[in-house]
Amino acid sequence: MDVSAVLEAHKQKFKSVSVEGKVIPLEYDLGLLAAYDQNPVEEAELKSNKDEYLQALTRDNAQLLFNEIFQLQTISDDNGVMAMLPNPTTLLPREKPLPKPKPETRWEKFAKAKGIVNRKKERMVFDDATGDYKPRWGYKAINDDGTKDWIIEVPSSANPMEDQYAARRDAKKERIDRNEKRHQRNMEEAAVATKMDQKAVNKGDRPNMDNARAMKRKEIENQILISKSSTASAGKFDEAIKGDLKPRGIKRQFAPTVADFSKEKAGNMSILDRVVGKNGEDLVNVRKAIRATKRQ
Amino acid sequence: MLRTITPRNARVKRVLKNREAKTEENIKTAIFIRGSQTSQIVNDALADLYMLKKPYAVNFSKKNQIHPFEDQSNLQFFSQKNDASLFVIGTHSKKRPHTLTFARMFDHQVLDMIEVSIEKGIPMRDFKTPKSAIGMKPCFLFNGDMWDQNPNYIMFKSMLLDFYHGQTVNKVALAGLEYVISVTSGPMTSEGKPGKIYLRTYTIVLKRSGVKLPRIEMVEMGPSLDMTFGRIMEAKPDVWKQSMRVPKELKPKKKKNITKDDMNNTVGRIHLGKQDFDKIQTRKMKGLKKRAAEDSDGTEKKQRVDDSGDEE
Repeated sequence: MDVSAVLEAHKQKFKSVSVEGKVIPLEYDLGLLAAYDQNPVEEAELKSNKDEYLQALTRDNAQLLFNEIFQLQTISDDNGVMAMLPNPTTLLPREKPLPKPKPETRWEKFAKAKGIVNRKKERMVFDDATGDYKPRWGYKAINDDGTKDWIIEVPSSANPMEDQYAARRDAKKERIDRNEKRHQRNMEEAAVATKMDQKAVNKGDRPNMDNARAMKRKEIENQILISKSSTASAGKFDEAIKGDLKPRGIKRQFAPTVADFSKEKAGNMSILDRVVGKNGEDLVNVRKAIRATKRQ
Repeated sequence: MLRTITPRNARVKRVLKNREAKTEENIKTAIFIRGSQTSQIVNDALADLYMLKKPYAVNFSKKNQIHPFEDQSNLQFFSQKNDASLFVIGTHSKKRPHTLTFARMFDHQVLDMIEVSIEKGIPMRDFKTPKSAIGMKPCFLFNGDMWDQNPNYIMFKSMLLDFYHGQTVNKVALAGLEYVISVTSGPMTSEGKPGKIYLRTYTIVLKRSGVKLPRIEMVEMGPSLDMTFGRIMEAKPDVWKQSMRVPKELKPKKKKNITKDDMNNTVGRIHLGKQDFDKIQTRKMKGLKKRAAEDSDGTEKKQRVDDSGDEE
């Protein structure tokens, strides 16, 4: 049985999905759901009935774009039928620079050199004393280093009057403090590393504790110098303290009165060059300068 | 300078972490600003562009003394404060009437800017037609032959895509394709300057077509803007290059031994290893048949003896 006539009649009932009259085929960027129609617009149409023409043009191109999108591979999920999109071909600029790798801590550096691989520890550990699982640290944690023992044997070498609980607590606190200090040191070094990045890290300079200290020291010195000159007399009548910092870089230099003047001339010429010379156009607004002199 | 800003609570910490540079970036936020003087056309256009960009948009309802082509410090400040990297600044003056300035930031510094003047604008509310829902992904259509020839058009295209493309996704709900942003480039002016651009926004109606593909019909949603180009500030080449860098993690992995030829056919290359000619199966012929074992052994032995004799 020939059904082509029936199918044709059925098709006739609907408007077509095909678009004709495109000399240059459209380019698609389906990752961005975009289509680029390179065919020149018809100027006469655009002038005479702009809105109708634009709508017809857009409809045709949208039809072509949707034909492409609906032919993509689809999957069905909770949101209905989804079309799988390819990666966009039009590249757009980023908002922020690429993330920098995190500066390594001292331990990480050491572990890398030694080939030590971090093993993940479980958060819950089995407690022999109670026979159930307890957190390794934190609230209701397992008896850590015997600080929770209900009885402690006094070692023969120890002072019998010493509180053994207090000794264990102190030992633990000391360990925590030491770790905190190391953490602080790592943070400072990381801060120096990120700061060095901006200037010239990759000259071979590596951030270390000396760098961090030097940087911090310089900063504090600058702050002291600022505070010294922030009295009413700009520090002139302040009593000098022994070993105190002296502001540097404010020495005045006087050139000898009788000598070779070529240097002086070169210096002055360079200033003059900068103001009115070949590169001076940007510095002086000539139009404004003329007006100002005319007014005088 | 060693001081680092430490967040006071977990919420601030999360926010700050979200603002850091990432390999896969957040959707860019846009700020819509009114300049010191605006016209009704500009206000309407800003409001409509804001509606299309929502929810990744901030609307500044007060006027600001802002001249993006002269001084960009304001933009940098707003960008930092709001973690936004896109701007639309609307201004109106005698010299540059009904002007919108589209600006893009990279690392909180202005990357590029383009200025357009609205010649004719019809706001969204004047079209009494159904509107698309907020935050839907638009389809883009760029009509005309100018879109990759003139720097004005190239930048405007890139800017528009950047503003409205939203999150880069690998799948999209077919029912969620609700509207189209269509931009048509008019012919160049007689002086060879870039001509008008016509921005139109339509909602899509999918109709049955008797085949698997739907028939598309469009209803104009607004805004409708006829614009001409004004000033332009292109990105510095080195900054542009930096902003276009793709992180290693997002680069598509190269597949070995699969190539495409000129006709776009996939061609595979297979490594077979070294061929052993002794074991190769050739055509069976009588002459190539192995002789009986004893026979061949005898002759070979004889030859070997002969050979050794020659050498000595």
